Amino acid sequence: MASTPASQTQESRPSFVEESLYEIHQKVHPRAVSGIFATWRWALVCLTQLVYYGMCWLPWNGRQAVLFDLAERKFYIFGLVFWPQDVIFLSVLLIISAYSLFLFTAIGGRLWCGYACPQTVYTEIFTWIEQKIEGERNARIKLDAAPMSARKLWLRVAKYSCWGLLAFWTGFTFVGYFTPIKTVWASLWSFSLGPWETFWMFFYGTFTYLFAGHMREQVCKHMCPYARFQGVMFDPDTLTITYDTERGEPRGARKKGVDPQSIARGDCVDCGICVQVCPTGIDIRAGLQYECIGCAACIDACDQVMEKMDYPKGLIRYSTEHAIAAHWGWKEIVGHIIRPRVIIYSTILATICVAFVWGIATKATLRVDVIRDRAILAREVEGGLIENVYRLHVINVSEAPHRYAVSVSGLPEIDMVGERILELPAAAARTFTVQVRVPPESGKKGSNQIFFDVKSLSNEKVAVHEKAAFLQP
Amino acid sequence: MYKIFWVLWPSFLVAGVAEGLFFTVIDPQELYLFGEPVHLSKIATYSIGFFGFWFICALSSLVTWFLQLSAAEINRGVGVVCPYVGPNDAEKK
Repeated sequence: MASTPASQTQESRPSFVEESLYEIHQKVHPRAVSGIFATWRWALVCLTQLVYYGMCWLPWNGRQAVLFDLAERKFYIFGLVFWPQDVIFLSVLLIISAYSLFLFTAIGGRLWCGYACPQTVYTEIFTWIEQKIEGERNARIKLDAAPMSARKLWLRVAKYSCWGLLAFWTGFTFVGYFTPIKTVWASLWSFSLGPWETFWMFFYGTFTYLFAGHMREQVCKHMCPYARFQGVMFDPDTLTITYDTERGEPRGARKKGVDPQSIARGDCVDCGICVQVCPTGIDIRAGLQYECIGCAACIDACDQVMEKMDYPKGLIRYSTEHAIAAHWGWKEIVGHIIRPRVIIYSTILATICVAFVWGIATKATLRVDVIRDRAILAREVEGGLIENVYRLHVINVSEAPHRYAVSVSGLPEIDMVGERILELPAAAARTFTVQVRVPPESGKKGSNQIFFDVKSLSNEKVAVHEKAAFLQP
Repeated sequence: MYKIFWVLWPSFLVAGVAEGLFFTVIDPQELYLFGEPVHLSKIATYSIGFFGFWFICALSSLVTWFLQLSAAEINRGVGVVCPYVGPNDAEKK
């Protein structure tokens, strides 16, 4: 396409004028499409956006159900509270997401890209708005080519405003996951939003606008890391959107109802609709290309044409390399899902998922850190007792307020000065000082092991037995 | 235009990861700036931190871009006789 023919290069030597090998970007005007996969795509658009725009408004125990509270350094996800110490769960969650993606990709190809990726979803919504305002594909191409007029200006303003509003709402929602959304909402109307909240709202909104409104398939083609490496998860049994070359070629126009064999043609009527509906502007008939995001718009479009022509559907369909070569049906394709790659991905995924669920289920609801006061090693206090000073950092990780009893053990006649009953609200932490005292004859000289016990008064099982070192001079 | 993206986009991604890792381990209130505790709000510290990471990562990408040779630069002279005459070249001629 954009590469220079060899002969031309020969002639132009030896003047080494570097020519750009990039294809000149042409705006893609995807034609609207309906059908079973379009319905699936819209269902996922609705589902993901219902979750995204809606979940931040859900209340839970008097707070926001899902809130990544950066200021307090606590992540709330429904009944769970994650502290920075729980970063392992977040990492495991990311690993689970990655392996799910690998598994889905190995089996179904770019399902993520085609149906669930925010880039696809927002492009879908933004294109829909564009189509509602500026009209169908042909009208949009005409409008783009037309000189500026009052009508064009009006349509453009309307489109950009609608995009802008949606992008703004997306940015607002984004900030609402990090600062309680009701606070953000209230301060939005009283113009008292913090500078950084305002900044991130517009930052996220602007990029939504640019990515979904203007850059669209460019993001998938040039910016997305997953698009670059998804190919390694593919094998000849991976489902991809495939044009059945054997059935379709040689392509050519013909009247409705003409038997392709009678005119020595394949089933493809070369209407070009599969190219027109493609959001990345490729021709799937040229074979699998990395630009193909697997949205299946061409399947829906081609099926409609096949129906009109009274030909069987599925000239473009979900199929695998093996299936196309060996003329397999769905039964054989499904039969080849279980293969070493899929088994390995599934096993790893299942193992990590079990570990994750087990980890969450047995997650401690009380944490105690004991820190020896390093400024004071050991000192003699009234009555000849030896005292060591500790700082106890108690974290109530649970969703309910608790009263805890604090005690110390491990040496004969050991006792402590400081709070013995500690009250902590839900998901709160406190650091306090404890002086531990023992008689001089208790324990050996040097370091002795002692234990702090923090027990919930309302639930016997919520208890921590934490060791510490007591220095005897 | 592409080159700007080559610098800004990868650095943005990596800065996001760096930001996450750094602030998971370090509480903004534990930070010191020129010997003084940081008095900014946490959101401000996170934000400035992110842009700091982005800036540093972008510098790295910028240097990569600067040092990178295009195919044309590497292959310059292909098809043209090499000016260097080695000891064995006389026999070949």
